[in-house]
Amino acid sequence: MEVKNLRKWFEVRRGFFSKPLWLKAVDGVSFALRPGEAVSLVGESGSGKTTLGKTVLLLHEPTDGQIIFKGEDVTHLKDKKKMMWYRRETALVQQDPFGAMPSFMTIYRILEEPLIVHKVGDKKEREEMIYRALEEVRLTPVEDFAPKYPHMLSGGQLQRVAIARALILGPSLVVADEPVSMLDASVRVEILNLMREMQQRRNITFIYITHDLSTTRYFSEWIYIMYAGHIVERGPTQRVIRNPLHPYTKALLAAIPDPDPENRKRFREVPPGEPPGLINPPPGCRFAPRCSRVMERCRKEEPPEIEVEHNHFVKCWLYV
Amino acid sequence: MAMLEVENLRLYYATRKGVVKAVDRVSFTLEKGETLAIVGESGCGKSSMAKAIARLLPRNVHTYDGVIRLDGKNIMEMSDEEYRREVRWRQISMVFQGAQNALNPVLKVGFQIAEPLMIHEGVPKEEALARARKALRMVGVHESFADRYPFELSGGMRQRAVIAMALITNPKLVILDEPTSALDVITQANIMNLLKKIKREYQLSFIFITHDIALSSELADRVAVMYAGQIVEFTDADEFYTNPKHPYSEKLMASVPTLRSEKKLEFIPGAPPSLLTPPPGCRFHPRCDKAMPKCREEEPPEVEVKERHYVKCWLYA
Repeated sequence: MEVKNLRKWFEVRRGFFSKPLWLKAVDGVSFALRPGEAVSLVGESGSGKTTLGKTVLLLHEPTDGQIIFKGEDVTHLKDKKKMMWYRRETALVQQDPFGAMPSFMTIYRILEEPLIVHKVGDKKEREEMIYRALEEVRLTPVEDFAPKYPHMLSGGQLQRVAIARALILGPSLVVADEPVSMLDASVRVEILNLMREMQQRRNITFIYITHDLSTTRYFSEWIYIMYAGHIVERGPTQRVIRNPLHPYTKALLAAIPDPDPENRKRFREVPPGEPPGLINPPPGCRFAPRCSRVMERCRKEEPPEIEVEHNHFVKCWLYV
Repeated sequence: MAMLEVENLRLYYATRKGVVKAVDRVSFTLEKGETLAIVGESGCGKSSMAKAIARLLPRNVHTYDGVIRLDGKNIMEMSDEEYRREVRWRQISMVFQGAQNALNPVLKVGFQIAEPLMIHEGVPKEEALARARKALRMVGVHESFADRYPFELSGGMRQRAVIAMALITNPKLVILDEPTSALDVITQANIMNLLKKIKREYQLSFIFITHDIALSSELADRVAVMYAGQIVEFTDADEFYTNPKHPYSEKLMASVPTLRSEKKLEFIPGAPPSLLTPPPGCRFHPRCDKAMPKCREEEPPEVEVKERHYVKCWLYA
């Protein structure tokens, strides 16, 4: 997948007669992913990460830029057949498993739905695929789980169903948006491990959207750090975490506690303020108002993206 | 005599499905100026524990008993009216989960912060508003925001306002239930810095309830781990984060991803049990890899394995 200068702006009106404003949720994002690569897209609420994930899946229509998938330009896909193909090739796992499933359908029917919509197999073949999908996410014995309704399962179990549903058509690209944030701490690791295993076994390209940096190391080779609609730093996960370049990345890492009894004895050095709104942002670098290393140039011009070391990019005037 | 002594506290709810034993004979103590972190996963009863101490009970209470001694006086014996007059928001105040969204949208921020003074201490409005402005300053928000409405403040500022509201009556104990959930990481760190500052300057005692173990270490002097309505381990922070003793605590610590240290992440199979029908014997036994036959039959006692380090587990009895 190749994404070039992608923008997704939403029109916002403050009153009936006021001029429309643009909420620039994704404002110039570029990256490329090879088959089977996993990337963590990290950002806080309001960074645009969910919008980016959904736009890549064409759940939002891009305002500008290009999305190229398996050599095809899918940016403004209108052809119905091609769209069906894209929907088979891609999938979404969302944060709230209970919100993502119809409460009146059994697990079996929920998993059957994508097969029905895409006219895959006959009744017998579907049954096999569904049972195999349940086994793959370790919801066994499958005959016990298949006839149950969502409310009968725990959050962790239901998220497994969501994963099974996402993978049942054999997609090449999966976007998981905060897939474990609503689950208990002790269950998170299990689900992340499961997703990682399946991703590697099936060679799926995976975009893992999260605000929890601590989990990214265990999950993806690449990491993209998002702030106010831009990817401000990207590179190999371990390198970015060990050697963060962008002041925002450094601030983010410094703000995250590890469980350490010494923490209570000292203050954390973090920038003041909060992430900016995305409506008609001021010129220049979006992080400038909070940046401890800010220079004149930062407030006037948006910085370009620079490759500082192999495959490690940063969008910051400090490195130009 | 500790500032807060809780003995065999019980809070059960009556529901159509049966009795939910949310807090099931919990005991702990807290000294003045100490912060206790109560950690546990969803459904373990920690929020109910906060409500039990603050006596903010819903209508379907089935059982509510035990002893809660605040500076030696058993506040459980007080009538609701006495509790409201003497304890709530005077000696014990609260910051709740999602509190920043609980601010009244049609009242100015300053007025809401001043409310506890007007209601619980009978302070006249002008004076209360002046003190509210001061409280805002104390939590790092400019006084001018007292005249604004909640929607004009960011999430972090609203949370600071709510903290100001909890502090304005100079309580002895502040209960914070997930005070930073829904805030981004950097704002969270700023709020934790504020709480650290307040802790230091005012010698306040906090009960900090959270499912985020790493975050709890930012404030905790003492840690209590809750599981299925009971405290399974209770000890000093220095001990807990480095050397937890209960199998659940160990696994919980092992499941916390860390940025700065290399470790293999573990998970606990299964899910926390329902509080309607907790497992017999030790409630953790179905998920415990060290479970013995005794664990399935008899509930373990609380054992003091080291000074001020208590564990509820047959491995130590």
